[in-house]
Amino acid sequence: MAKIIAIHSFRGGTGKSNTTANLACLLAREGYRVGMVDTDIQSPGIHVLFDLDTNDIPYALNDYLWGKCDIARAAYDVTKTLGADATGRLFLVPSSIRAGDIARVLHYGYDVTLLKEGYRQLIRQLPLDYLFIDTHPGINEETLMSIATTDVLLIILRPDQQDYQGTAVTVEVSRQLEVPEMYIVLNKVPVRVDREALAAKAVSAYDCPVVGVLPHDEDMLDLGSSGIFSLRYPDHIISREMRRIVQRLTP
Amino acid sequence: MIGCGWGLVYGVLNSLSNIMLLPSAPFISIRPQIALPMAVGILLNPPAGFVVGFIGNMIGDGISGFGIWKFWNWHLANGLMGFIPGLIRYFGIVKIGTVREFGILQMSVVLASGIAVAFAVLLDVCFLHHMTFPSSFPSWILPAFLTDAVNGFVLVPVILLAFRKILLTLEIRTICLVTILLLLAVFSTAVSITLSILDDLVSQEAVIENFYIAGIVSVFLLVVGFLASVVFVRRFTDPVIRMSRASQEVESGHYDLSLLDPVSSRNDELGRLSRVLQKMAKTVQERERSLRQQVQDLQIKIDRKRKDEEVREIVETDYFRELKKKAKAFRSS
Repeated sequence: MAKIIAIHSFRGGTGKSNTTANLACLLAREGYRVGMVDTDIQSPGIHVLFDLDTNDIPYALNDYLWGKCDIARAAYDVTKTLGADATGRLFLVPSSIRAGDIARVLHYGYDVTLLKEGYRQLIRQLPLDYLFIDTHPGINEETLMSIATTDVLLIILRPDQQDYQGTAVTVEVSRQLEVPEMYIVLNKVPVRVDREALAAKAVSAYDCPVVGVLPHDEDMLDLGSSGIFSLRYPDHIISREMRRIVQRLTP
Repeated sequence: MIGCGWGLVYGVLNSLSNIMLLPSAPFISIRPQIALPMAVGILLNPPAGFVVGFIGNMIGDGISGFGIWKFWNWHLANGLMGFIPGLIRYFGIVKIGTVREFGILQMSVVLASGIAVAFAVLLDVCFLHHMTFPSSFPSWILPAFLTDAVNGFVLVPVILLAFRKILLTLEIRTICLVTILLLLAVFSTAVSITLSILDDLVSQEAVIENFYIAGIVSVFLLVVGFLASVVFVRRFTDPVIRMSRASQEVESGHYDLSLLDPVSSRNDELGRLSRVLQKMAKTVQERERSLRQQVQDLQIKIDRKRKDEEVREIVETDYFRELKKKAKAFRSS
Protein backbone atom coordinates (compact mmCIF):
# COMPACT_ATOMS: atom_id res chain seq x y z
CA MET A 1 0.00 0.00 0.00
CA ALA A 2 1.23 3.49 -0.88
CA LYS A 3 2.45 5.79 1.84
CA ILE A 4 1.74 9.51 2.03
CA ILE A 5 4.52 11.54 3.64
CA ALA A 6 3.78 15.16 4.53
CA ILE A 7 6.66 17.56 5.23
CA HIS A 8 5.70 20.45 7.44
CA SER A 9 7.36 23.29 9.28
CA PHE A 10 5.98 25.98 11.53
CA ARG A 11 7.82 28.78 9.75
CA GLY A 12 9.13 29.34 6.24
CA GLY A 13 12.79 29.03 5.32
CA THR A 14 13.42 25.85 7.24
CA GLY A 15 14.48 23.97 4.11
CA LYS A 16 11.19 22.15 3.67
CA SER A 17 11.14 22.04 -0.14
CA ASN A 18 14.80 21.09 -0.28
CA THR A 19 14.34 18.23 2.15
CA THR A 20 11.23 17.01 0.35
CA ALA A 21 13.07 16.98 -2.98
CA ASN A 22 16.12 15.20 -1.57
CA LEU A 23 14.13 12.49 0.22
CA ALA A 24 11.92 11.89 -2.83
CA CYS A 25 14.96 11.59 -5.10
CA LEU A 26 16.75 9.18 -2.77
CA LEU A 27 13.64 6.99 -2.56
CA ALA A 28 13.16 7.01 -6.34
CA ARG A 29 16.80 6.06 -6.85
CA GLU A 30 16.14 2.96 -4.77
CA GLY A 31 13.62 1.83 -7.36
CA TYR A 32 10.35 3.18 -5.93
CA ARG A 33 7.76 5.14 -7.83
CA VAL A 34 7.61 8.44 -6.02
CA GLY A 35 5.41 11.50 -6.38
CA MET A 36 5.64 15.03 -4.96
CA VAL A 37 2.86 17.58 -4.61
CA ASP A 38 3.71 21.22 -3.96
CA THR A 39 0.74 22.35 -1.87
CA ASP A 40 2.44 25.60 -0.92
CA ILE A 41 0.21 27.36 -3.41
CA GLN A 42 0.92 30.80 -1.97
CA SER A 43 4.67 30.56 -2.40
CA PRO A 44 5.57 27.59 -4.56
CA GLY A 45 9.25 26.65 -4.90
CA ILE A 46 10.06 22.98 -5.31
CA HIS A 47 9.77 23.07 -9.13
CA VAL A 48 12.96 25.15 -9.31
CA LEU A 49 14.98 22.21 -7.98
CA PHE A 50 13.81 20.12 -10.94
CA ASP A 51 14.30 22.74 -13.66
CA LEU A 52 10.57 22.84 -14.27
CA ASP A 53 9.40 26.17 -15.59
CA THR A 54 5.75 26.48 -14.64
CA ASN A 55 5.19 29.06 -17.36
CA ASP A 56 5.75 26.35 -19.96
CA ILE A 57 3.59 23.65 -18.45
CA PRO A 58 -0.08 23.45 -19.37
CA TYR A 59 -1.47 22.38 -15.98
CA ALA A 60 -0.59 22.84 -12.31
CA LEU A 61 -2.14 21.83 -9.00
CA ASN A 62 -4.22 25.01 -9.17
CA ASP A 63 -5.97 23.78 -12.31
CA TYR A 64 -6.95 20.55 -10.62
CA LEU A 65 -8.28 22.38 -7.55
CA TRP A 66 -10.42 24.62 -9.74
CA GLY A 67 -11.77 21.62 -11.59
CA LYS A 68 -10.02 22.39 -14.86
CA CYS A 69 -8.25 19.03 -15.14
CA ASP A 70 -7.56 15.65 -13.73
CA ILE A 71 -4.70 15.75 -11.17
CA ALA A 72 -2.63 13.21 -13.16
CA ARG A 73 -2.54 15.75 -16.02
CA ALA A 74 -0.68 18.13 -13.69
CA ALA A 75 1.94 15.50 -12.76
CA TYR A 76 5.26 15.79 -14.62
CA ASP A 77 7.84 13.07 -14.94
CA VAL A 78 11.13 14.44 -13.54
CA THR A 79 12.94 11.08 -13.39
CA LYS A 80 15.78 12.45 -15.51
CA THR A 81 16.94 14.48 -12.49
CA LEU A 82 17.99 11.23 -10.83
CA GLY A 83 20.62 10.40 -13.45
CA ALA A 84 20.91 7.57 -15.94
CA ASP A 85 21.22 4.66 -13.51
CA ALA A 86 18.02 5.31 -11.54
CA THR A 87 15.53 2.45 -11.53
CA GLY A 88 12.50 4.18 -9.98
CA ARG A 89 10.32 6.98 -11.28
CA LEU A 90 9.77 10.47 -9.95
CA PHE A 91 6.76 12.74 -10.56
CA LEU A 92 6.06 16.30 -9.52
CA VAL A 93 2.74 18.12 -9.28
CA PRO A 94 3.82 21.80 -9.14
CA SER A 95 1.85 24.82 -8.03
CA SER A 96 1.39 27.62 -10.50
CA ILE A 97 3.70 30.59 -10.11
CA ARG A 98 1.52 32.80 -12.28
CA ALA A 99 0.72 35.87 -10.23
CA GLY A 100 -2.95 35.69 -11.23
CA ASP A 101 -3.28 32.08 -10.09
CA ILE A 102 -1.67 32.83 -6.73
CA ALA A 103 -3.87 35.88 -6.22
CA ARG A 104 -6.96 33.85 -7.01
CA VAL A 105 -6.08 31.26 -4.39
CA LEU A 106 -5.42 33.97 -1.82
CA HIS A 107 -8.69 35.66 -2.64
CA TYR A 108 -11.13 32.81 -3.11
CA GLY A 109 -9.37 29.88 -1.45
CA TYR A 110 -10.22 26.41 -2.58
CA ASP A 111 -11.97 23.32 -1.41
CA VAL A 112 -9.30 21.62 0.67
CA THR A 113 -11.11 18.30 0.62
CA LEU A 114 -10.14 18.13 -3.05
CA LEU A 115 -6.52 17.73 -1.91
CA LYS A 116 -7.27 14.45 -0.21
CA GLU A 117 -9.10 13.16 -3.30
CA GLY A 118 -6.23 14.33 -5.51
CA TYR A 119 -3.67 12.36 -3.49
CA ARG A 120 -5.78 9.22 -3.81
CA GLN A 121 -6.10 9.61 -7.57
CA LEU A 122 -2.40 10.27 -8.05
CA ILE A 123 -1.44 7.16 -6.10
CA ARG A 124 -3.79 5.03 -8.13
CA GLN A 125 -3.22 6.47 -11.59
CA LEU A 126 0.56 6.91 -11.77
CA PRO A 127 0.76 4.55 -9.72
CA LEU A 128 2.91 5.46 -6.70
CA ASP A 129 4.69 3.77 -3.81
CA TYR A 130 5.31 7.05 -1.98
CA LEU A 131 3.69 10.46 -2.23
CA PHE A 132 5.45 13.48 -0.68
CA ILE A 133 3.42 16.52 0.21
CA ASP A 134 5.36 19.78 0.48
CA THR A 135 3.08 21.88 2.68
CA HIS A 136 2.63 25.56 3.28
CA PRO A 137 4.36 26.65 6.50
CA GLY A 138 2.25 27.27 9.59
CA ILE A 139 -1.12 25.82 10.42
CA ASN A 140 -4.17 26.56 8.31
CA GLU A 141 -7.02 24.56 6.79
CA GLU A 142 -4.89 23.25 3.98
CA THR A 143 -2.02 22.06 6.21
CA LEU A 144 -4.45 20.55 8.69
CA MET A 145 -6.01 18.64 5.78
CA SER A 146 -2.60 17.36 4.75
CA ILE A 147 -1.82 16.33 8.32
CA ALA A 148 -5.17 14.56 8.62
CA THR A 149 -4.53 12.71 5.39
CA THR A 150 -0.91 11.74 5.76
CA ASP A 151 0.52 8.44 6.97
CA VAL A 152 3.82 9.95 7.95
CA LEU A 153 4.44 13.50 9.15
CA LEU A 154 7.97 14.91 9.02
CA ILE A 155 8.27 18.13 11.00
CA ILE A 156 11.28 20.24 10.05
CA LEU A 157 12.65 22.92 12.35
CA ARG A 158 15.70 25.04 12.83
CA PRO A 159 17.30 25.29 16.25
CA ASP A 160 15.76 28.56 17.40
CA GLN A 161 13.19 29.46 20.02
CA GLN A 162 10.40 30.42 17.60
CA ASP A 163 10.65 27.12 15.78
CA TYR A 164 10.83 25.22 19.06
CA GLN A 165 7.63 26.84 20.28
CA GLY A 166 5.75 26.48 16.99
CA THR A 167 6.76 22.85 16.62
CA ALA A 168 5.27 22.10 20.03
CA VAL A 169 1.91 23.33 18.71
CA THR A 170 2.20 21.33 15.49
CA VAL A 171 3.12 18.15 17.37
CA GLU A 172 0.19 18.52 19.74
CA VAL A 173 -2.33 19.20 16.95
CA SER A 174 -0.98 16.31 14.89
CA ARG A 175 -1.36 13.96 17.85
CA GLN A 176 -5.01 14.94 18.08
CA LEU A 177 -5.39 14.11 14.40
CA GLU A 178 -3.83 10.72 15.17
CA VAL A 179 -1.04 10.81 12.61
CA PRO A 180 0.27 7.21 12.54
CA GLU A 181 3.94 8.13 12.27
CA MET A 182 5.47 11.44 13.24
CA TYR A 183 9.16 12.35 13.06
CA ILE A 184 11.25 15.43 13.70
CA VAL A 185 14.11 16.64 11.49
CA LEU A 186 16.38 19.40 12.78
CA ASN A 187 17.78 21.43 9.91
CA LYS A 188 20.42 24.17 9.56
CA VAL A 189 22.04 23.21 12.85
CA PRO A 190 25.21 25.29 13.43
CA VAL A 191 28.37 23.20 13.07
CA ARG A 192 29.52 23.98 16.62
CA VAL A 193 26.45 22.36 18.16
CA ASP A 194 26.67 18.82 19.49
CA ARG A 195 24.10 17.25 17.19
CA GLU A 196 23.49 14.12 19.24
CA ALA A 197 22.87 16.13 22.39
CA LEU A 198 20.48 18.40 20.52
CA ALA A 199 18.59 15.38 19.15
CA ALA A 200 18.27 13.97 22.66
CA LYS A 201 16.89 17.29 23.93
CA ALA A 202 14.35 17.42 21.11
CA VAL A 203 13.22 13.85 21.77
CA SER A 204 12.52 14.68 25.41
CA ALA A 205 10.92 18.04 24.60
CA TYR A 206 8.44 16.68 22.04
CA ASP A 207 8.29 13.01 22.98
CA CYS A 208 8.77 12.27 19.31
CA PRO A 209 11.60 10.49 17.45
CA VAL A 210 14.24 12.68 15.81
CA VAL A 211 15.23 11.03 12.54
CA GLY A 212 17.77 13.52 11.27
CA VAL A 213 19.97 16.40 12.42
CA LEU A 214 21.29 18.26 9.38
CA PRO A 215 24.20 20.65 9.88
CA HIS A 216 24.12 24.10 8.39
CA ASP A 217 26.42 23.99 5.43
CA GLU A 218 27.85 26.57 3.05
CA ASP A 219 27.96 24.03 0.19
CA MET A 220 24.21 23.67 0.45
CA LEU A 221 23.85 27.45 0.27
CA ASP A 222 26.11 27.66 -2.79
CA LEU A 223 23.94 25.15 -4.56
CA GLY A 224 20.99 27.35 -3.65
CA SER A 225 17.67 26.22 -4.99
CA SER A 226 19.10 24.56 -8.08
CA GLY A 227 19.93 20.88 -8.11
CA ILE A 228 19.55 18.10 -5.59
CA PHE A 229 22.25 18.26 -2.95
CA SER A 230 22.27 14.60 -1.93
CA LEU A 231 22.70 13.52 -5.55
CA ARG A 232 25.52 15.95 -6.21
CA TYR A 233 27.41 15.41 -2.96
CA PRO A 234 26.49 11.84 -1.94
CA ASP A 235 29.29 11.57 0.63
CA HIS A 236 28.46 14.79 2.45
CA ILE A 237 27.21 14.48 6.01
CA ILE A 238 23.90 16.08 5.01
CA SER A 239 23.42 13.44 2.31
CA ARG A 240 24.23 10.66 4.77
CA GLU A 241 21.66 12.03 7.23
CA MET A 242 19.11 12.20 4.39
CA ARG A 243 19.72 8.54 3.56
CA ARG A 244 19.24 7.67 7.23
CA ILE A 245 15.86 9.42 7.15
CA VAL A 246 14.91 7.50 4.00
CA GLN A 247 15.77 4.25 5.77
CA ARG A 248 13.30 5.13 8.51
CA LEU A 249 10.59 5.76 5.91
CA THR A 250 11.03 2.50 4.02
CA PRO A 251 10.13 -0.94 5.35
CA MET B 1 91.57 42.05 3.17
CA ILE B 2 88.99 43.50 5.52
CA GLY B 3 91.42 42.65 8.31
CA CYS B 4 94.16 44.70 6.60
CA GLY B 5 91.80 47.64 6.14
CA TRP B 6 90.79 47.68 9.79
CA GLY B 7 94.47 47.10 10.63
CA LEU B 8 95.29 50.39 8.89
CA VAL B 9 92.59 52.19 10.90
CA TYR B 10 93.89 50.59 14.08
CA GLY B 11 97.45 51.59 13.19
CA VAL B 12 96.57 55.25 12.62
CA LEU B 13 94.61 55.34 15.89
CA ASN B 14 97.61 53.76 17.63
CA SER B 15 99.97 56.40 16.34
CA LEU B 16 97.57 59.12 17.50
CA SER B 17 97.17 57.66 20.97
CA ASN B 18 100.90 57.06 21.38
CA ILE B 19 101.16 60.65 22.50
CA MET B 20 98.62 60.07 25.35
CA LEU B 21 100.91 58.19 27.64
CA LEU B 22 99.72 56.76 30.91
CA PRO B 23 101.14 58.50 33.98
CA SER B 24 104.39 56.97 35.14
CA ALA B 25 104.34 54.43 32.29
CA PRO B 26 106.68 55.89 29.69
CA PHE B 27 105.96 53.44 26.87
CA ILE B 28 102.28 52.60 27.34
CA SER B 29 99.55 54.89 26.04
CA ILE B 30 95.81 54.97 26.76
CA ARG B 31 94.45 52.84 23.95
CA PRO B 32 90.66 52.73 23.59
CA GLN B 33 91.18 51.47 20.01
CA ILE B 34 92.25 48.06 21.36
CA ALA B 35 88.53 47.22 21.18
CA LEU B 36 88.86 47.28 17.38
CA PRO B 37 90.87 44.07 16.77
CA MET B 38 88.87 42.35 19.53
CA ALA B 39 85.55 43.26 17.91
CA VAL B 40 86.79 42.27 14.45
CA GLY B 41 87.88 38.90 15.85
CA ILE B 42 84.41 38.35 17.27
CA LEU B 43 82.41 39.75 14.35
CA LEU B 44 84.45 38.13 11.54
CA ASN B 45 86.79 35.37 12.78
CA PRO B 46 89.93 34.94 14.97
CA PRO B 47 92.47 35.22 12.08
CA ALA B 48 90.92 38.51 10.94
CA GLY B 49 91.23 39.82 14.50
CA PHE B 50 94.86 38.71 14.55
CA VAL B 51 95.64 40.50 11.29
CA VAL B 52 94.06 43.76 12.53
CA GLY B 53 96.03 43.63 15.79
CA PHE B 54 99.32 42.62 14.23
CA ILE B 55 99.35 44.98 11.24
CA GLY B 56 97.82 47.81 13.23
CA ASN B 57 100.48 47.74 15.90
CA MET B 58 103.19 47.56 13.21
CA ILE B 59 101.79 50.57 11.34
CA GLY B 60 101.34 52.51 14.57
CA ASP B 61 104.94 51.86 15.58
CA GLY B 62 106.09 52.82 12.09
CA ILE B 63 104.26 56.13 12.06
CA SER B 64 105.34 56.95 15.61
CA GLY B 65 109.01 56.40 14.60
CA PHE B 66 109.66 53.37 16.85
CA GLY B 67 110.65 51.34 13.78
CA ILE B 68 108.50 48.67 12.20
CA TRP B 69 110.19 45.59 13.71
CA LYS B 70 111.66 46.89 16.95
CA PHE B 71 108.75 45.72 19.14
CA TRP B 72 107.69 42.72 17.03
CA ASN B 73 106.70 40.85 20.19
CA TRP B 74 104.01 43.47 20.77
CA HIS B 75 102.74 42.99 17.21
CA LEU B 76 102.17 39.37 18.09
CA ALA B 77 100.58 40.33 21.41
CA ASN B 78 98.14 42.71 19.68
CA GLY B 79 97.38 39.97 17.18
CA LEU B 80 96.56 37.63 20.05
CA MET B 81 94.25 40.26 21.54
CA GLY B 82 92.25 40.16 18.30
CA PHE B 83 92.52 36.39 17.97
CA ILE B 84 91.48 35.14 21.44
CA PRO B 85 88.06 36.87 21.85
CA GLY B 86 87.14 35.58 18.38
CA LEU B 87 87.39 32.05 19.77
CA ILE B 88 84.11 32.41 21.70
CA ARG B 89 82.24 31.35 18.55
CA TYR B 90 83.75 27.89 19.08
CA PHE B 91 82.05 27.84 22.49
CA GLY B 92 78.72 28.05 20.73
CA ILE B 93 78.28 31.81 21.08
CA VAL B 94 76.80 33.28 17.91
CA LYS B 95 74.65 36.04 19.41
CA ILE B 96 74.99 37.40 22.91
CA GLY B 97 71.63 37.41 24.65
CA THR B 98 72.15 35.95 28.10
CA VAL B 99 74.24 36.85 31.14
CA ARG B 100 76.26 33.67 30.62
CA GLU B 101 77.14 34.63 27.05
CA PHE B 102 77.88 38.20 28.09
CA GLY B 103 80.11 36.90 30.88
CA ILE B 104 82.06 34.66 28.53
CA LEU B 105 82.55 37.61 26.16
CA GLN B 106 83.91 39.87 28.90
CA MET B 107 86.09 37.10 30.29
CA SER B 108 87.54 36.46 26.85
CA VAL B 109 88.42 40.14 26.53
CA VAL B 110 90.20 40.30 29.90
CA LEU B 111 91.83 36.93 29.35
CA ALA B 112 93.07 37.98 25.90
CA SER B 113 94.72 41.08 27.36
CA GLY B 114 96.41 39.04 30.10
CA ILE B 115 97.65 36.27 27.84
CA ALA B 116 98.84 38.70 25.17
CA VAL B 117 100.80 40.87 27.58
CA ALA B 118 102.34 37.83 29.29
CA PHE B 119 103.27 36.47 25.88
CA ALA B 120 104.93 39.75 24.83
CA VAL B 121 106.89 39.89 28.07
CA LEU B 122 107.99 36.28 27.70
CA LEU B 123 109.26 36.94 24.16
CA ASP B 124 111.09 40.04 25.36
CA VAL B 125 112.78 38.14 28.19
CA CYS B 126 113.84 35.36 25.83
CA PHE B 127 114.89 37.29 22.71
CA LEU B 128 114.83 41.07 22.91
CA HIS B 129 115.93 42.13 26.38
CA HIS B 130 114.29 45.61 26.22
CA MET B 131 112.87 45.09 29.67
CA THR B 132 114.37 44.07 32.88
CA PHE B 133 112.24 41.97 35.09
CA PRO B 134 110.79 42.70 37.64
CA SER B 135 111.64 46.41 37.43
CA SER B 136 109.59 46.92 34.24
CA PHE B 137 106.51 45.42 35.86
CA PRO B 138 104.96 48.78 36.97
CA SER B 139 106.10 50.72 33.88
CA TRP B 140 105.35 48.19 31.10
CA ILE B 141 103.48 45.10 31.99
CA LEU B 142 100.77 46.25 34.37
CA PRO B 143 99.82 49.46 32.47
CA ALA B 144 99.64 47.53 29.21
CA PHE B 145 97.39 44.91 30.72
CA LEU B 146 95.17 47.46 32.49
CA THR B 147 94.53 49.74 29.52
CA ASP B 148 93.82 46.85 27.20
CA ALA B 149 91.60 44.95 29.63
CA VAL B 150 89.56 47.95 30.78
CA ASN B 151 89.14 49.50 27.33
CA GLY B 152 88.19 46.15 25.82
CA PHE B 153 85.80 45.46 28.69
CA VAL B 154 83.98 48.77 28.19
CA LEU B 155 84.15 49.28 24.43
CA VAL B 156 83.87 45.82 22.88
CA PRO B 157 80.23 45.48 24.07
CA VAL B 158 79.48 48.94 22.66
CA ILE B 159 80.78 47.98 19.21
CA LEU B 160 79.01 44.60 19.28
CA LEU B 161 75.79 46.33 20.29
CA ALA B 162 76.08 48.63 17.28
CA PHE B 163 76.53 45.59 15.02
CA ARG B 164 73.55 43.79 16.64
CA LYS B 165 75.79 41.01 17.85
CA ILE B 166 74.45 41.69 21.34
CA LEU B 167 70.68 41.36 21.69
CA LEU B 168 68.95 43.78 24.01
CA THR B 169 67.20 41.16 26.09
CA LEU B 170 66.13 41.80 29.63
CA GLU B 171 69.11 39.85 30.95
CA ILE B 172 71.55 41.86 28.85
CA ARG B 173 69.92 45.16 29.84
CA THR B 174 70.24 44.20 33.48
CA ILE B 175 73.87 43.09 33.32
CA CYS B 176 74.72 46.19 31.28
CA LEU B 177 73.18 48.45 33.89
CA VAL B 178 75.09 46.68 36.66
CA THR B 179 78.28 46.98 34.61
CA ILE B 180 77.72 50.69 34.01
CA LEU B 181 77.15 51.31 37.72
CA LEU B 182 80.28 49.35 38.55
CA LEU B 183 82.24 51.38 36.02
CA LEU B 184 80.92 54.62 37.49
CA ALA B 185 82.11 53.49 40.91
CA VAL B 186 85.51 52.50 39.54
CA PHE B 187 85.75 55.74 37.58
CA SER B 188 84.99 57.90 40.59
CA THR B 189 87.69 56.09 42.56
CA ALA B 190 90.11 56.50 39.67
CA VAL B 191 89.36 60.21 39.41
CA SER B 192 90.09 60.79 43.10
CA ILE B 193 93.27 58.76 42.93
CA THR B 194 94.43 60.55 39.78
CA LEU B 195 93.77 63.91 41.41
CA SER B 196 95.87 62.88 44.37
CA ILE B 197 98.66 61.77 42.07
CA LEU B 198 98.63 64.99 40.07
CA ASP B 199 99.01 67.06 43.24
CA ASP B 200 102.12 66.51 45.25
CA LEU B 201 100.04 66.66 48.42
CA VAL B 202 102.52 68.59 50.43
CA SER B 203 100.07 70.82 52.20
CA GLN B 204 97.05 69.97 54.29
CA GLU B 205 94.98 72.35 52.14
CA ALA B 206 95.78 70.29 49.06
CA VAL B 207 94.59 67.11 50.80
CA ILE B 208 91.33 68.78 51.84
CA GLU B 209 90.81 70.25 48.37
CA ASN B 210 91.26 66.85 46.80
CA PHE B 211 88.90 65.38 49.34
CA TYR B 212 86.18 67.85 48.31
CA ILE B 213 86.74 67.33 44.59
CA ALA B 214 86.54 63.58 45.06
CA GLY B 215 83.35 64.11 47.06
CA ILE B 216 81.76 66.26 44.36
CA VAL B 217 82.64 63.71 41.68
CA SER B 218 81.17 60.93 43.84
CA VAL B 219 77.93 62.81 44.45
CA PHE B 220 77.63 63.63 40.74
CA LEU B 221 78.16 60.01 39.78
CA LEU B 222 75.76 58.87 42.51
CA VAL B 223 73.02 61.13 41.13
CA VAL B 224 73.64 60.11 37.51
CA GLY B 225 73.77 56.44 38.45
CA PHE B 226 70.61 56.71 40.50
CA LEU B 227 68.67 58.49 37.75
CA ALA B 228 69.82 55.89 35.24
CA SER B 229 68.63 53.16 37.59
CA VAL B 230 65.25 54.83 38.06
CA VAL B 231 64.71 55.04 34.32
CA PHE B 232 65.75 51.45 33.87
CA VAL B 233 63.73 50.09 36.79
CA ARG B 234 60.63 51.91 35.49
CA ARG B 235 61.14 50.43 32.04
CA PHE B 236 61.55 47.03 33.62
CA THR B 237 58.73 47.08 36.15
CA ASP B 238 56.05 48.83 34.08
CA PRO B 239 55.54 45.81 31.77
CA VAL B 240 55.49 43.47 34.75
CA ILE B 241 52.87 45.62 36.47
CA ARG B 242 50.82 45.76 33.29
CA MET B 243 50.97 42.00 32.89
CA SER B 244 49.95 41.49 36.48
CA ARG B 245 46.98 43.81 35.89
CA ALA B 246 46.18 41.96 32.65
CA SER B 247 46.03 38.60 34.41
CA GLN B 248 43.66 40.13 36.98
CA GLU B 249 41.47 41.34 34.11
CA VAL B 250 41.37 37.84 32.64
CA GLU B 251 40.55 36.41 36.05
CA SER B 252 37.54 38.70 36.32
CA GLY B 253 36.37 37.77 32.82
CA HIS B 254 37.63 40.73 30.80
CA TYR B 255 39.58 39.50 27.82
CA ASP B 256 40.46 42.80 26.14
CA LEU B 257 44.16 43.04 26.85
CA SER B 258 44.93 46.17 24.81
CA LEU B 259 46.67 47.54 27.90
CA LEU B 260 49.46 45.11 27.00
CA ASP B 261 49.95 46.57 23.50
CA PRO B 262 52.98 48.70 24.47
CA VAL B 263 54.57 45.67 26.14
CA SER B 264 53.86 43.37 23.20
CA SER B 265 55.75 45.65 20.86
CA ARG B 266 58.94 45.07 22.89
CA ASN B 267 61.52 42.82 21.36
CA ASP B 268 62.60 40.95 24.48
CA GLU B 269 61.38 38.24 26.86
CA LEU B 270 58.69 40.49 28.34
CA GLY B 271 57.41 41.30 24.85
CA ARG B 272 57.15 37.62 24.02
CA LEU B 273 55.41 36.85 27.31
CA SER B 274 52.96 39.68 26.72
CA ARG B 275 52.15 38.53 23.18
CA VAL B 276 51.54 34.99 24.42
CA LEU B 277 49.28 36.36 27.17
CA GLN B 278 47.22 38.36 24.67
CA LYS B 279 46.91 35.38 22.36
CA MET B 280 45.90 33.11 25.20
CA ALA B 281 43.26 35.55 26.38
CA LYS B 282 41.81 35.70 22.89
CA THR B 283 41.71 31.91 22.66
CA VAL B 284 40.04 31.58 26.05
CA GLN B 285 37.50 34.24 25.10
CA GLU B 286 36.60 32.51 21.85
CA ARG B 287 36.32 29.15 23.55
CA GLU B 288 34.10 30.53 26.27
CA ARG B 289 31.88 32.30 23.75
CA SER B 290 31.48 29.15 21.68
CA LEU B 291 30.70 27.08 24.79
CA ARG B 292 28.09 29.58 25.91
CA GLN B 293 26.56 29.53 22.42
CA GLN B 294 26.49 25.74 22.43
CA VAL B 295 24.64 25.65 25.71
CA GLN B 296 22.27 28.29 24.37
CA ASP B 297 21.63 26.29 21.20
CA LEU B 298 20.94 23.16 23.19
CA GLN B 299 18.16 24.69 25.24
CA ILE B 300 14.73 23.93 23.93
CA LYS B 301 12.38 26.11 25.93
CA ILE B 302 8.72 25.72 25.33
CA ASP B 303 6.13 28.01 26.86
CA ARG B 304 3.54 25.37 27.77
CA LYS B 305 0.80 27.83 28.58
CA ARG B 306 1.11 29.66 25.29
CA LYS B 307 1.30 26.39 23.41
CA ASP B 308 -1.85 25.05 25.05
CA GLU B 309 -3.66 28.26 24.17
CA GLU B 310 -2.63 28.11 20.54
CA VAL B 311 -3.52 24.44 20.30
CA ARG B 312 -6.92 25.18 21.83
CA GLU B 313 -7.56 27.92 19.29
CA ILE B 314 -7.01 25.42 16.52
CA VAL B 315 -8.71 22.32 17.85
CA GLU B 316 -11.80 24.10 19.06
CA THR B 317 -12.84 25.21 15.58
CA ASP B 318 -15.67 23.40 13.84
CA TYR B 319 -13.39 22.72 10.90
CA PHE B 320 -10.97 20.86 13.15
CA ARG B 321 -13.67 18.79 14.86
CA GLU B 322 -15.02 17.81 11.48
CA LEU B 323 -11.55 17.00 10.19
CA LYS B 324 -10.77 14.87 13.20
CA LYS B 325 -13.84 12.77 12.59
CA LYS B 326 -12.92 12.28 8.94
CA ALA B 327 -9.22 11.67 9.46
CA LYS B 328 -9.61 8.03 10.35
CA ALA B 329 -11.76 7.40 7.31
CA PHE B 330 -9.29 9.25 5.07
CA ARG B 331 -6.40 7.06 6.03
CA SER B 332 -8.22 3.76 5.74
CA SER B 333 -9.50 4.57 2.27
